[in-house]
Amino acid sequence: MSNTWVVATQPAIGSLLELGRARGGDVIVVAVGDAAAKAGGGDRVIRVEVAAGTPLEAVAPVVAAHVDPQPGDVVLTGSGSADRAIAGAVAARHGLPVARGVNHVATDEVRVPRYGGIAEETVSLEKAILLVVDAHGETEGEAAAGEPAEGDGYAATISGIDPGTSQQANLPAARRIVACGRGFKAESELQLASDLAVSIGAELACSRPLAEGSGWFPRDRYIGVSGSRVAPDIYLAVGISGQVQHTVGMKDSRVVVAINSDPQAPIFTQADYGIVGDLHEVLPALTAALGR
Amino acid sequence: MTIVVAYKYAANSQDASVAPDGHVDWSRAKEAVSEYDSVAIQFARHAAAAAGGDVVGVTVGGAAAGTPNARKGALARGLDRALVLADDATSGWNATATGSALAHLVERIDGVDCVMTGDASVDEGAQMIPALIAGHLGWPCFLEVRAIDRTADGWRLVQDHQGGTRTVDVAGHVVISVATDAVEAKSPGMKDILAAGKKPSEDVALAEVQPADVTWDVVGRAPAPTQARRRELFDGADAPAELAAALKTTGVL
Ligand SMILES: Cc1cc2nc3c(=O)[nH]c(=O)nc-3n(C[C@H](O)[C@H](O)[C@H](O)COP(=O)(O)OP(=O)(O)OC[C@H]3O[C@@H](n4cnc5c(N)ncnc54)[C@H](O)[C@@H]3O)c2cc1C
Ligand SMILES: Nc1ncnc2c1ncn2[C@@H]1O[C@H](COP(=O)(O)O)[C@@H](O)[C@H]1O
Repeated sequence: MSNTWVVATQPAIGSLLELGRARGGDVIVVAVGDAAAKAGGGDRVIRVEVAAGTPLEAVAPVVAAHVDPQPGDVVLTGSGSADRAIAGAVAARHGLPVARGVNHVATDEVRVPRYGGIAEETVSLEKAILLVVDAHGETEGEAAAGEPAEGDGYAATISGIDPGTSQQANLPAARRIVACGRGFKAESELQLASDLAVSIGAELACSRPLAEGSGWFPRDRYIGVSGSRVAPDIYLAVGISGQVQHTVGMKDSRVVVAINSDPQAPIFTQADYGIVGDLHEVLPALTAALGR
Repeated sequence: MTIVVAYKYAANSQDASVAPDGHVDWSRAKEAVSEYDSVAIQFARHAAAAAGGDVVGVTVGGAAAGTPNARKGALARGLDRALVLADDATSGWNATATGSALAHLVERIDGVDCVMTGDASVDEGAQMIPALIAGHLGWPCFLEVRAIDRTADGWRLVQDHQGGTRTVDVAGHVVISVATDAVEAKSPGMKDILAAGKKPSEDVALAEVQPADVTWDVVGRAPAPTQARRRELFDGADAPAELAAALKTTGVL
């Protein structure tokens, strides 16, 4: 019987448990730190203590020593930066191949995305494998007290935290999204997108260069292979060219609308509706037309 | 003090195409030093200048990674020298095997204090290699780092964290990935490229590296599943009104 190991760094691991349940076998949760210990739903729980003021990354070797994957087992971790740091330690210690993301899980095989999401491979689960996937969703049931995991981590301490000013966005839950790209040349022009978003009750999002580089958006608002994955009812891409690193993050949207001045922009091939035009003219007119 | 930067010579998956049988055709995609790895090299350059040390590149790739142009491209971005494992046999490797080979390259270099990588490679983009290198070396790993300073016994780093940042003190060695906007990577000029031709780069043979024996059985390949789109375009002065009408009939608005 093959089992699933879930490495939790926070309590919202519903999506990971669901993947484990879909395979059958036991789900063994390795809860890293106090927050993760609140997650319910595991058949067995192993608790890795993290001292106050210690980053989760520091206990990576302790986690690696307590995950014990047998042939056919799957190890699941979240995709946050601490999760990935821990995943690397687990995979290296146990010689597990690693895939980022998963399109489908069955008892004996998984389908994983490759090359930034342009292709998909089906991998046999005869050997053990580690999958790094987005962890979200509440869990049900009481959290078990768990077996304590002993061991020494790395020497690291958090000596300061700057929480930032922005509120955490929850784009994966958004039903409507207006996303801005480099077609916006100045921060003040974003007002045009914001007006449209307000008029249809949409969340604002962006391509990566607008979050990293120009810094007009917080990092949790960019969509794509390294950012958030979203699947709203409607996704309006404004001044976004449609590079694959962006579109993998929004391709599951129900209806895609593109506004771009370049008729050759790749985004149009992935859109249901498009306007070829200058966003400075199109956005105010569209906001007005939708408001009617 | 020595900082190692792991850089990948790769092509952008935006320029690849996928056949119906899942075969990925890279023939129209041009290989280069992966975009964000230039940021890591520049970042390492600053850190080495502040702490007094040199910057050594390591790479694992196909034969193309060993061509003079590939070497110069990397060295011109600010490396002092490089260790290159260029062998087409590496192309089928899983990230865990690549990570172990990179860790071996790091171990061949004396006095390494820190390994830096880019945020993501331009072809795979899985953001896993730094953690795998760290796992194989037995070093701590911190991702999305935007500032780093040498301390008496290790490093103090500023890491992106939950919409803000946090400062972490690490004793001893560390592997980090560099935030994409930590510094600006300027493209190398003619002078840099000429100078790069004189910088040393050493080849390491596959047999010397012995990567972790990590295999996976791929039993099927396919293009990524996509949805069919309507591709209805509007232009001209009435386009916004036409789009608004079309959206209302879909029922999504
Ligand atoms: C490893 C890696 C990972 C990456 N991960 C991500 C990711 O997760 N998410 C992401 O978004 N990107 C990511 N990128 C970057 C990605 O490759 C593209 O560079 C980026 O998505 C481009 O953003 P853009 O479309 O806003 O800008 P551009 O590609 O510059 O496009 C701007 C568009 O605006 C249009 N335009 C210009 N002026 C106007 C106007 N007045 N009105 C209307 N349209 C106008 C132009 O025609 C153009 O199509 C990644 C890159 C790498 C290498
Ligand atoms: N084959 C490789 N050789 C050297 N460095 C690599 C290689 N693959 C990945 N890296 C480094 O690891 C980072 C993350 O890569 P990836 O995990 O593929 O997204 C890259 O930005 C590089 O710095």
